[in-house]
Amino acid sequence: MNVYRHARLLRTIVLMIVTGALLLVWVLPLIWAFVVSLKSEREVLAYPPSVVFEPTWSNYVDALFGSFSIVDSLLTSTIVATATTVLTIALAVPAAYAFARLRLPAKRPLGFYTLATQMVPPVGLVIPYFLILNRLSWLDTYHGMVIVYLTFSLPFAIWLMVSYMEDIPWEMEEAAFLDRASRLQTLWHIVIPQVRGGIAVTVIFVFLNAWNEFLFAVQLGGNTVRPVTVAMYNFVSVEQTLWAKLSAAALVAMLPVVIIGIAAQRQIVKGLTVGAVKGGARK
Amino acid sequence: MSPKGRVSLRGIRKEFGRFVALDDIDLDIEPVEFFALLGPSGSGKTTTLRLVAGLDTPDEGTLTVDGVDVTFAPPGERDVAMVFQNYALYPHMTVRDNIAFPLKMAKAPASSIDELVREAAAKVRIDHLLHRRPGQLSGGQQQRCALARAIVRKPKLFLLDEPLSNLDAQLRLETRVELKKLQRNLNVTAIYVTHDQEEAMTLADRMAIFLEGTIKQIGTPAEVFDHPNCVEVAAFIGSPPMNIIPAALNGRTLTIEGHSVALHRDPGHPPGPVIVGIRPGSLRIDPEGIPTQLYLQENMGETWLLNLKLGEMIVKMRVAHSERSAEGETVPISFAPGAIHLFDAETGLRVQVN
Ligand SMILES: Nc1ncnc2c1ncn2[C@@H]1O[C@H](COP(=O)(O)OP(=O)(O)O)[C@@H](O)[C@H]1O
Ligand SMILES: [Mg+2]
Repeated sequence: MNVYRHARLLRTIVLMIVTGALLLVWVLPLIWAFVVSLKSEREVLAYPPSVVFEPTWSNYVDALFGSFSIVDSLLTSTIVATATTVLTIALAVPAAYAFARLRLPAKRPLGFYTLATQMVPPVGLVIPYFLILNRLSWLDTYHGMVIVYLTFSLPFAIWLMVSYMEDIPWEMEEAAFLDRASRLQTLWHIVIPQVRGGIAVTVIFVFLNAWNEFLFAVQLGGNTVRPVTVAMYNFVSVEQTLWAKLSAAALVAMLPVVIIGIAAQRQIVKGLTVGAVKGGARK
Repeated sequence: MSPKGRVSLRGIRKEFGRFVALDDIDLDIEPVEFFALLGPSGSGKTTTLRLVAGLDTPDEGTLTVDGVDVTFAPPGERDVAMVFQNYALYPHMTVRDNIAFPLKMAKAPASSIDELVREAAAKVRIDHLLHRRPGQLSGGQQQRCALARAIVRKPKLFLLDEPLSNLDAQLRLETRVELKKLQRNLNVTAIYVTHDQEEAMTLADRMAIFLEGTIKQIGTPAEVFDHPNCVEVAAFIGSPPMNIIPAALNGRTLTIEGHSVALHRDPGHPPGPVIVGIRPGSLRIDPEGIPTQLYLQENMGETWLLNLKLGEMIVKMRVAHSERSAEGETVPISFAPGAIHLFDAETGLRVQVN
């Protein structure tokens, strides 16, 4: 028997076990939540947990159409997350290009402060933001919420996009200049098509962050702007927690995230690895 | 219509930080000329080409094209096309779109673009690859695509930065011939950067020899080869380049390692140290000549190259197969007095001998 083939087989098996274990850690809570969402509220509290039970979809019906329906808040989350994402990309792409390519005064300090905003703990910002929005009467408004989200997503997106743009050979843009392309035409025809993978990655990160955000949503939102992360909280009250309905709502709220993840999987992997390989090869 | 594409550089200086990349460059390139910038790596050839293209601006001096000062004109306004060393093709576009890009940017009518693209692609024989992406092309095909993109809008100036250096030897020879034909057909001024003297010698109408940021000599390949105007050029041109041997001159008498040789006539140089340049092919075996020791012999295919020890120096000599010898043997050598080049030991400048 070939020793090398043995070794390779062994390695494959070990790899599978490790991957499987990691996957289990991620997936187990989801499976648990799914099982809970199919139980009645009474059965959820049974101890030891019941394994055999009558599955029911009623929790989903309640979560979507009951007295605490999350449908409106799903719409709110979609609007907030989409607006945040679109604005972030529209502003981050040109800004990243400027950082990557233009000779700007104070480029280095600007780059540093852009990143520094990411180092402040969010909790420290909630109160200042609350006071500012309050003064502007922007509390519980869509534009107020989106602008607050932009203060987080923009620096992150710029920082991410800069690294993708720096990977494009400068000579390629010079070739375009010689062919009479302007800066903007070069950005549009040469740079952006080549960082599509990076833009896809940025879109996903920004959208998911906005979609999943809770702390600022709960403080700066209200009855008009109530994203689904906040709305779910209605199932938790002082008297009781409706675990089954909460689980059902949480799983519904996760659905867009999962769909985007699957749809963009190839782009994400490409976007992440292309940058890595190019950067590595150049050093 | 008089031919266009006369380029003049006057007193060009370019610094990168403290480093002087180009110092006092003067250069005149005639319309429709194939002009080579030849020099070792790092001598400032690419920098010069980028200044002509407008991708960089000089710190001093002026650059004119057809009498118009374009020293600080942006690249897009110069009507120049450039083939980059690594081609700089747009990887996300097909070959067709790559070639069409300059036309689109110049706002050519959409109806004419297809025809022009096809024409340019046909000239470099890649018209069957228009639908491919650069990543699906071989090195030679990528190079042709870059050429097609450069010629498609019929520029006034055609700039090439070591366009053949990424091809293998066989393809390089073939493409060299085609490049020359292409330039003649297009009737356009070409400036060609290379560190390969064989390329420069075969392609160029004239060339400039760059060394450490200055131009040492400008002339036709024959002029530069036959009459290098300084020791540095002499030591660079030819493969292998000529032997550089210190000697003493007194009137007509040249003394090398204690051996005297009479020149045809008095070069009129004050007596004292000089430098002698002799091409390996100009040396011959002569029982009456200067004795040397055979150190090593190399097979060059058609000829052999003898490395001879003359005092502490190694002198290279090209011989026929029949003239090979055994290593360690004594080989007496001499040369026709008319075949040598003489340079001033102090300034390194040429002294006319014949
Ligand atoms: N952008 C730059 N910054 C700093 N130094 C440079 C830059 N471009 C070229 N140089 C230096 O200038 C010298 C000439 O470069 P170049 O013109 O590219 O030489 P070559 O003759 O090989 O084409 C080299 O020493 C190079 O390191
Ligand atoms: Mg170069």
